[in-house]
Amino acid sequence: MLFNSFQFLVFFTIVTTLYFVLPHKYRWFQLLVASCVFYMAAIPVYILILFFTIVVDYFAGILIENADEDRKKPFLIMSLVANIGILAFFKYYNFFIDNVNEVLHLANSTRYLPVLHILLPIGLSFHTFQAMSYTIEVYWGNQKAERHFGIYALYVMFYPQLVAGPIERPQNILHAFHEEHKFDYDNMVKGLRLMMWGLIKKVVIADRLLLVTDPIFDAPTQYSGVTLFLACFFFIFQIYCDFSGYSDIALGAAKTMGFDLMKNFNRPYTSKSLSEFWRRWHISLSTWFFDYLFTPVAASLRRWRQGAVVVGLALTFLLSGLWHGASWNFILWGAALGAGLIFELLTKNFRDKAFARIPKNIVGGMGRLCTVFYLILMAVFFRSKTVADSMFFYKKFLGIPGEIGRVIKTHKFGFLNLPNVYHLVIPGFLVIVLLELLEHFGEKYDLANTFQTKKPVFRWAAYYAGLILLMYFGVYEKHQFIYFQF
Amino acid sequence: MNEQQVYTDLNKIFSDVLKKPGIQLSAESTAGDVEGWTSLTHMILIDTIEAHYKIKFKLNEIVKFRNVGEMAASIMKKLTK
Repeated sequence: MLFNSFQFLVFFTIVTTLYFVLPHKYRWFQLLVASCVFYMAAIPVYILILFFTIVVDYFAGILIENADEDRKKPFLIMSLVANIGILAFFKYYNFFIDNVNEVLHLANSTRYLPVLHILLPIGLSFHTFQAMSYTIEVYWGNQKAERHFGIYALYVMFYPQLVAGPIERPQNILHAFHEEHKFDYDNMVKGLRLMMWGLIKKVVIADRLLLVTDPIFDAPTQYSGVTLFLACFFFIFQIYCDFSGYSDIALGAAKTMGFDLMKNFNRPYTSKSLSEFWRRWHISLSTWFFDYLFTPVAASLRRWRQGAVVVGLALTFLLSGLWHGASWNFILWGAALGAGLIFELLTKNFRDKAFARIPKNIVGGMGRLCTVFYLILMAVFFRSKTVADSMFFYKKFLGIPGEIGRVIKTHKFGFLNLPNVYHLVIPGFLVIVLLELLEHFGEKYDLANTFQTKKPVFRWAAYYAGLILLMYFGVYEKHQFIYFQF
Repeated sequence: MNEQQVYTDLNKIFSDVLKKPGIQLSAESTAGDVEGWTSLTHMILIDTIEAHYKIKFKLNEIVKFRNVGEMAASIMKKLTK
């Protein structure tokens, strides 16, 4: 069920109303049923996968807690194998088989391994990671094992964050399902406002930018290097608005019922470095990898000192790339981001010394430009379908100086084959500038928390402006959220 | 060794590793309070502390440290064993 659909509007209204009408003791059941309905709107039978991992992890949590210190590990491994096994089978099996078949082909073999004709269960990478977070935290002693099976199932299945996160931690949210949430006008207004902002980011900004980017990415050979670069520039904002828009709707829907989910984005394109970007983009996933992969790996190898951090980062980013999709493009995307971060780490002292005499705001500004430039280059891997397609983009990028030279010489733009400048490119830039300004002032004046204290005329003007944006500038062609594919 | 001595040692180790002279840690100090104490320098700090006291933290302990106080308590516990 898409958040940007009429179906969801009806679903959300019924679920939220029922939540406050029902007595507290029935609410977990009501939310669990609603979450099942939400999930089964895609491929109903896949709910059995969720049921399997929920049963395994529920018992694993209790067994870990009850076991003696030196006997806890087998139960944790049982949980990790079940979750990673399911993920590997549905998401990575075909990728693995394709690569094996490629090798067999190179070896002139006439026998090939069969590929599976299955669809990826929606949100699999998200809920398996959330489930693993639970058993790992119980194993580390940071979380008590949940004894109420229904509440544990709800922790994994809570509909706002079930299919695209935020990937929650048990300490943040599990206790909230036991607590009684009375209707709170402030929570309701904050939640609805966040949902509206998320919807604007999705249908007004992301889906409008998609009108520019999709035709270019679908037929890159017809476009110049400048146009391909422009498409990548728009794409990084498209994916940000698409995914952060989804997260805002998820946070808002949960907030209306009094649940506080973790913030997933913090103005990532204002980052002065890739390491800062890593802390501001898809925070629930980057902290997951940091807590459960990077830290254990780097801690285990700490005798290597800086080398431990380098190995930890390399492994973390390779797997983070693979998490996003079963293709070499995503692996290369992760590897390139990891390489950038390792470069920042290894050159930090040198850069600090070299830039010591330059004013901080200039260094910061240059850092922001370099970071966005690197992310635009990486967007090629993220959006292209194959490595060959990506290489085509990079080859065209190398021709950009020549194209700019030709424009300067001839004063002609036609050969660049730009998308419609007045209807697509200029509005695209304006929307991005407006977005950054709104987020900048929203943060500066803490609008998320102080908006309610503004004069009613200001608030209602903003609400009507939002509604007008949604009604007249929204794209309603059922574009799926990009991160659903992961 | 008393707690005060542990904090004196930690102040020196943090100052040396992070190349920031005069760091003064308290039990509540976290990575957010100390400039340069990042996830990347954390492992170097842990390794230096282990070498200094000739102790070894467990992986479970390292991932659970929330502040300097927890780190100091773990050091004290290991030294008194």
